[in-house]
Amino acid sequence: MFKGALYISLIISVSGVIFQLHRFRKDGQFFNRSKNENHIKSFFHIREFLLNTFLQTKLFKAGKIRWGFHFLLFLSFLYLVIVHALHDVTSSVLFKSYDPTVDPYQFLRNLTGLMVLTGCVAFLFRRRFNIRSLQDKSIKHKGVFSIILILLLVCSGFLLESSKIISEPVFMEMVEEYSDLDEETGLSDLKLFWKDNYNVVFTENIKTTSNGLEKGRLLNEEYCLSCHSNIKSAFISNTLAKTISNAGNILNQYRIDTKFYVIHYMLCLSLLICLPFSRLFHVLLIPFASSRQNLTLDSFLENKAFINIASLYACTNCGYCSRVCSVYPNFQITGNQDVLPHWKIESVKTMMQNPGAANWWRLHAGNDECTMCRHCTDICPSGIDLQSLWSVLDKKLVTMGYTNNTRFILDTSLKEWAKKEEIYTGLIPGDALSSNLADRTEAFENCIQCSICTNVCPIVDYDSNQNDITPQQVMNLLRLGKKHLATGTRMVWTCLTCYSCQEHCPKEIRVADILLELRNAGSNRADMIQQRPIGLINR
Amino acid sequence: MKFAYFPGCKISFYMKDYGISFEALMENLGVNLVRLPFNCCGYPARSKNFEVSILSSIKNYALARKYNLDIITPCKCCFGQFKHSTYWYGQNKELKKKIDDILARENLFWDGNTQIKHLLSFLHNDFGIHEIEKRIQKKLPAKKIAVQYGCHALRPFSITGFDNPYAPKIFEELLAVTGVKTVEWSKSTECCGNPIFDGNPKLSLKITQNKIKTAGDDGADYICTACTHCQMQYEMIQYQKQLNNHTPTTVLFTQILGAALGINKNKLSTTGRLPLFPC
Repeated sequence: MFKGALYISLIISVSGVIFQLHRFRKDGQFFNRSKNENHIKSFFHIREFLLNTFLQTKLFKAGKIRWGFHFLLFLSFLYLVIVHALHDVTSSVLFKSYDPTVDPYQFLRNLTGLMVLTGCVAFLFRRRFNIRSLQDKSIKHKGVFSIILILLLVCSGFLLESSKIISEPVFMEMVEEYSDLDEETGLSDLKLFWKDNYNVVFTENIKTTSNGLEKGRLLNEEYCLSCHSNIKSAFISNTLAKTISNAGNILNQYRIDTKFYVIHYMLCLSLLICLPFSRLFHVLLIPFASSRQNLTLDSFLENKAFINIASLYACTNCGYCSRVCSVYPNFQITGNQDVLPHWKIESVKTMMQNPGAANWWRLHAGNDECTMCRHCTDICPSGIDLQSLWSVLDKKLVTMGYTNNTRFILDTSLKEWAKKEEIYTGLIPGDALSSNLADRTEAFENCIQCSICTNVCPIVDYDSNQNDITPQQVMNLLRLGKKHLATGTRMVWTCLTCYSCQEHCPKEIRVADILLELRNAGSNRADMIQQRPIGLINR
Repeated sequence: MKFAYFPGCKISFYMKDYGISFEALMENLGVNLVRLPFNCCGYPARSKNFEVSILSSIKNYALARKYNLDIITPCKCCFGQFKHSTYWYGQNKELKKKIDDILARENLFWDGNTQIKHLLSFLHNDFGIHEIEKRIQKKLPAKKIAVQYGCHALRPFSITGFDNPYAPKIFEELLAVTGVKTVEWSKSTECCGNPIFDGNPKLSLKITQNKIKTAGDDGADYICTACTHCQMQYEMIQYQKQLNNHTPTTVLFTQILGAALGINKNKLSTTGRLPLFPC
């Protein structure tokens, strides 16, 4: 039955992996790669692959403590899988002396179990208490399931071992199998010895005699010792066994050890099944992701970028990227979580799988803030090429019609903009702070229309055939009370912010600052006109 | 001397040469650079969201204040944004309160006692031209160089206090000690065109092309920049190969001074090649 279950789980697991890979391929079609992008050489960084898979070097760079816990868990779990779980095909073949109840294997099993347990608890603790405001609930709970599964697996392992320690039936089975002892040839002496030294709980009351103990010791040496090291080395299970020994008789009567065996085995299989469907998949995806970094300066300047969809699922929501994100202050003011990489990557996944549920404008507003500083990509412990993703996403959003406000306003004629004025005047959110110049008459009333600003403006010069009004005319619009009209002028939106006008103004009017303020206001208005959900963003 | 080094966002990916040559130069001059977990200076957000742009730089100030350091940056747009933010932070009480509240949530505060230095004004005013002159190892070939001053450091003078905004001279003076010749360039203080590259690339590149052309007309072999964004803009044109062979190409100030100070080429450029020295 166990064999059958194992094969079924294996089949489910493997087909799960294939299913997921198929899904990644389908998701990838969302970005419908152009021919151009396919020409980008895909590098296989073997060094990155090895270092990050086996030593988790990127995590080490990001956070030493977390790396410490993670590495212990990784090593211990790897040991348990190879030496303990697969012992039929590995350790019994490789190590001649292997027996689960012999040192050092007995001790190491307990030690590694403890380390995995510590790692799991540390993970849960961090998730519960040590998460900064940038972690949202839905992200906070990701990955908890698989950790709890591992936690249960290790606990059931310890319980199984301790229930076997106290078990009289298991003792009797072993005696029958490996010796010819019966009551007359000293079985009770052996029992006595095992009761004292191996913490087995017997139903009958065995009298302790020093003579019997000595005989038991000799029998133990003869029959058992070669396969049973001192039980004290199983330091966790032994302690646990002592704790439950009071109820030992009842537990033995119900053969609790066989129950724990089934539980332990089944948990093991469920972990195998969950591998492709839960956070556990990262053990396969991170090596893949870290071996691939596609964005180079050249490919970027040629406007080519390329992402491996599978690597996006290597994200473990650790949040390091958002901690180092250059535009974190933007999130602090606007509250738009899609500014932050660890959140944005989730939004991208939603966008690919369920385009209807994605908040496109918010994603666009967030991605538009990215300064391409590469901090997130450099720190990502999973080795995901995040910066490629942001630039591909940017292009995708533009092709879908989500452009930034500059483009929108430059494409809108001043006439249309003026028409929209009446409809949207009342809707401009008033709580955002500004440099507060365009609304204060004293900031621009001194303008004498000398046109020096216009004469020094490079835009008036270079953009002469398209430019609508000049800086001094913008000042005049303000004096006429036409601020909202001014926010849509080409002059405001193509201003280089070179401050020549302001420097040269004989009346010391902050011309460039006013133009910038008008651009900010115009940006808000464009958001309203396009009915972007900025209400969601401004908190 | 010890400074918190503010590289800005673009150096780590686009402009590695500027980053490494700046660091090599500072190391050579005995200036200690400390790296802090800074965020963006706020310059890119300036035309979208006033609050974000001011908070970004004030947060950086507060971080440097925590370590009692002044900030040095090789980027003029970052420098300008820092100065700009200092001004508005002091002007607008309401804004100051809002920012202080956000900083307090992260156990940061800023009392205004942090200076921002740009590479050029630092070398000229604080380090001293004579100090640099003493350290010059070799005089460079007398190539003709036009300097791009960079708007955001130069103007408005009342806020940035960089140099005389109408007739600046510190860039030329700093270059003069290396042996190169500077040319009078009519558009030396004009914008490079980068700020509108995202919104209106065509116009942006038109401005840059015109600048390069006039620099050539004024006799320049090279255009020297000391700003990340200016350099990016000129390199963009070079990358698109919209130039003929006779027009001047761009060169970083840190590479010129670094070469004159005898710093190894490989420390000044990722490719090991410097524009001024083909050999």
